[in-house]
Amino acid sequence: MKISIQINASPYQHQASDTAWHFIQAALQNGHEIYRVFFYHDGIYNALRDSRPPSDERNIVQRWSTLNEQMGVDLVVCVSSAQRRGLLEQSVGEKVGGYERALADGFRIAGLGLLMEAVIDSDRHVTFGA
Amino acid sequence: MPNVKTLVFIIDKPLHGDIRAQEFLDMAMMAAAFGQRVVVVFEGSGVYGLIKEQRADVLGLKNITPVLSALSVYDIHDILVEQESMLLKGVDESQLGIAVSVQSRSEIKQTIDSANHLFSF
Repeated sequence: MKISIQINASPYQHQASDTAWHFIQAALQNGHEIYRVFFYHDGIYNALRDSRPPSDERNIVQRWSTLNEQMGVDLVVCVSSAQRRGLLEQSVGEKVGGYERALADGFRIAGLGLLMEAVIDSDRHVTFGA
Repeated sequence: MPNVKTLVFIIDKPLHGDIRAQEFLDMAMMAAAFGQRVVVVFEGSGVYGLIKEQRADVLGLKNITPVLSALSVYDIHDILVEQESMLLKGVDESQLGIAVSVQSRSEIKQTIDSANHLFSF
């Protein structure tokens, strides 16, 4: 089955990111395809490069980067949600004078069109944090 | 048209106070722009969002009501409000700021059952 994921809540304060990550692990192990993970609303904080949790805690941002690196899962951060909250794409940061390396490895920034494409092409669209 | 899905967007929170409702409606409009059949359902505290003459500017917020009025421009014509929620919240149809279809919980359940995907926030 082709599954797309949407994450609406920030990591650590909410369980949504953890549940989504475990869901994705289980789906991949059972032979399903994860078409895309789309980060919306406060979910964009999952892509914050400079997140530094204590060393004895899980590193949620790093975990997403690893998922992209090892499994090739497409991680897309909504551009308008991200800009509103100060998470800028490099080119935007350069242009408006913001921080240019805000986005962690493996994430890319794009518009809601990529969410809709995922919803339309997937058999299931599962939202976490709503 | 190939691959048209029915997407139901459930609004069960007031529209002002945080940014999510505004971002949520952006999703609905994008879905409609992609040629999908969009249904917006108001239930629970979401019905407060339909009351006319909201003064979001008092809090320095953007008023979302004009966005609701513009949904038809995006070919979103199915705007449903749950009758039971209106009763529960004491909201009367004459207080509403946009044209909606008031339906019972069981009617709305049928719509939700027929959806390909559900969205909430």
